[in-house]
Amino acid sequence: MSNASDVKLLVFTLVSQALDDKAIVVTEDMPLIGGESVLDSMKLVELCLALEDKAADMGFEFDWTSDAAMSRSRSMFRTAGSLAAKFISQMETKK
Amino acid sequence: MIVVTGASKGLGRAICERLIEKNIDVFGLARNVEDVPFTSMSCDVSSYESVKAVTQQLKKEGSKVSGLVNAAGIASMNLAVTTPQSVAQKIINTNLLGTIYCCQLIAPLMLRNKHGSIINFSTIAVALGLKGESIYAASKAGVEGFTRSFAREMADFNVRVNCIAPGPIDTSLLKGITPEQINKIVSQQIIPKQFKPDSVADLVELLIDSRSDSLSGQVLHVGGA
Repeated sequence: MSNASDVKLLVFTLVSQALDDKAIVVTEDMPLIGGESVLDSMKLVELCLALEDKAADMGFEFDWTSDAAMSRSRSMFRTAGSLAAKFISQMETKK
Repeated sequence: MIVVTGASKGLGRAICERLIEKNIDVFGLARNVEDVPFTSMSCDVSSYESVKAVTQQLKKEGSKVSGLVNAAGIASMNLAVTTPQSVAQKIINTNLLGTIYCCQLIAPLMLRNKHGSIINFSTIAVALGLKGESIYAASKAGVEGFTRSFAREMADFNVRVNCIAPGPIDTSLLKGITPEQINKIVSQQIIPKQFKPDSVADLVELLIDSRSDSLSGQVLHVGGA
């Protein structure tokens, strides 16, 4: 799997699996950190581990420990869309 | 596998040897691992990138990490006003930030398995407020505070985090401290006796074992304080 839209769908699916309420539809601008986040901190860590596993299956290492990872304004976890974009960019640069 | 920092000498080395004796897999970390006779890797815990390289190696090898012992540490007995800025920085970087970096980067290897034990190291100097150890004690007080909060963060993942706070144990860390100074500290412990590295290794063995499943966020003072 290397098509960017397929990978984005995969990331959204993993976000969806991390949600307690399975009825929630994951959207591009769904916040993953901060007060409006639909994920608690434990679920966020579980999502990171799931992404790490998936990246390993796809032949690259997903790094969620960068300086900006948890910054409200720059974080890859700002939204589901920014997370998918970062995952895809790491896939493209590290593969 | 248990990852042990400060594995080349002192308490870290004694802990590694004890765990190996008990047939537990050990992965030792130290700045210089040339003379380390067990599985090890060079690592400067005060460098985030260096610790990150270790985690990448462990992931690459598919290692099942079930414990982390943060035994790397440095000390300097000096009044705060006569301690050079560079030394103060080095103590904080190694003792406090080194512990934080290892916990931040190595704990995720345990989260996946929802099982693990992390043991940090403080000192009895924190509880006793020892003269001439203010910067060292400050770095270790930070470790104690970090341990208590980090234990709560890790509890959901069934990873326990505790802290051992030894008195003056007979290791190279005491180099330059006179027997009189050691006796003065020891006399302030609840059990006024200088303990050996084996006593600390006993506690580590207990804390990584499931017999201590009820303990997390605790600071255990060797000798009592």
